[in-house]
Amino acid sequence: MNSRYSRQSFLGSDSQEVLAGCSVGIVGLGGGGSHIAQQLAYIGVGNITLFDPDEMDWPNLNRTVGATTLDAQKRTPKVEVAKRIIKAANENVSVTPLCGTWQEHFEYFRACDIVFGCIDGLLPRKMLEETCRRALIPLIDIGMDVHLGNPYTISGQVIVSIPGEPCLRCMQFIRDTDTAKEESKYGHAGGTPQVIWPNGALASTAVGLFMQMVTPWCRNQERSFFLGYDGNAMTFERDQRFGLVAGVVCPHFGQDDLGDPFWTPQWQEPIEQKNPTRFDRMKKWLGALLQHRK
Amino acid sequence: MNVHFKMTDKMRMQVIADLERPHRFAAERLGFFRCRVSWAKSELLVLVSRYQPIPDEQYVNDTSAGCFFDENTMRTMLQHSLTNHESIFHVHLHDHLGMPNFSRIDLRESAQYVPDFWHVTPDLPHGTLVLSRNKAAGLCWYPGSRKVFEIARITAVGPQIRKLGKRP
Repeated sequence: MNSRYSRQSFLGSDSQEVLAGCSVGIVGLGGGGSHIAQQLAYIGVGNITLFDPDEMDWPNLNRTVGATTLDAQKRTPKVEVAKRIIKAANENVSVTPLCGTWQEHFEYFRACDIVFGCIDGLLPRKMLEETCRRALIPLIDIGMDVHLGNPYTISGQVIVSIPGEPCLRCMQFIRDTDTAKEESKYGHAGGTPQVIWPNGALASTAVGLFMQMVTPWCRNQERSFFLGYDGNAMTFERDQRFGLVAGVVCPHFGQDDLGDPFWTPQWQEPIEQKNPTRFDRMKKWLGALLQHRK
Repeated sequence: MNVHFKMTDKMRMQVIADLERPHRFAAERLGFFRCRVSWAKSELLVLVSRYQPIPDEQYVNDTSAGCFFDENTMRTMLQHSLTNHESIFHVHLHDHLGMPNFSRIDLRESAQYVPDFWHVTPDLPHGTLVLSRNKAAGLCWYPGSRKVFEIARITAVGPQIRKLGKRP
């Protein structure tokens, strides 16, 4: 094992190989997503695909890991900031930064083994989960909110949604009535309140659950999972709503709701690596020579 | 382009439980995956939606191989493929740990009946899978190509992500 990872060898003899072969998507590279990106790089995940259409702005600087004043001035895309911190942590990670919504990059999205959802709002979460289920991708959702009160209340959640298991709607995290009125209710502490320490706690817990799915170093494997975070008491607790649906067959996603309903074959042969012939090598050499003369 | 075959881990366990049941005369059991397909970057995603076991009475009493299914099985699966526009992947179990391999008879028989699904759904890939207790291997017949491709990745998605296929 590479000495870089010697302190995490308890994860299993083939853990680094497994992690290196893993493709992880992160949707949303704000406070939560940037923490996750950095941690996955340190752990040694081989392929990370980043989805976020936003650019860095001044209000992001209070919580986005790796963001600088210059990024806010230059309006650097969030995915580029995340790519920078990933590469700084581990140059061996293959990073695909996609400055756009995940809907604009479906083909990249579907190639992920696991997706972290770090986005605001219930409706986007619902759509994200639907897409994950359609491609049999487990989703780890994190989020936090600050509620009006005296004192303010910080709450959050980490939810693991596994295809074939209870979904966000089964767990009552997303209710159709709430999605309709969420915009008017969301964020009572001015703007959309976000602070770095709950984001860090939620992101670290999410990465812990991811590791349990990929390299199960301890035996308590959970199925779908709903952890509630109390930011005032600084505690995580299994949400009681989950207990009611554990083991229930999800009625929201049918067995047939998979794949692409309009799929058409692309008439291309699977790529097969062939050894270059002498003619191929000469063609390459001539191409390089002509390029050089220009 | 590579082929990535995905199913839920619950489905994998259900399939193994069905295939390991003893039959009155057949030495092993067979089944079929009914699948949907999608594109993911340069990969063809084959996603298992349902498992179709073969009823006991549809096995043929023939000792020249582990087991044979009769024409009713084939007719049923052709109908599923046509009606629901599904890819069909044949599956059987090699009861051991580690990477399974197709036997010569598996390859010969698959090459005969898998392309038959193109009579009803010529635009879909079809194939065959062999499971072991913890690994799997598969072959895919891709539309428009007469060659058979080895499935590059087979994944079972559950509380643990199990990479059953060739790559880690």
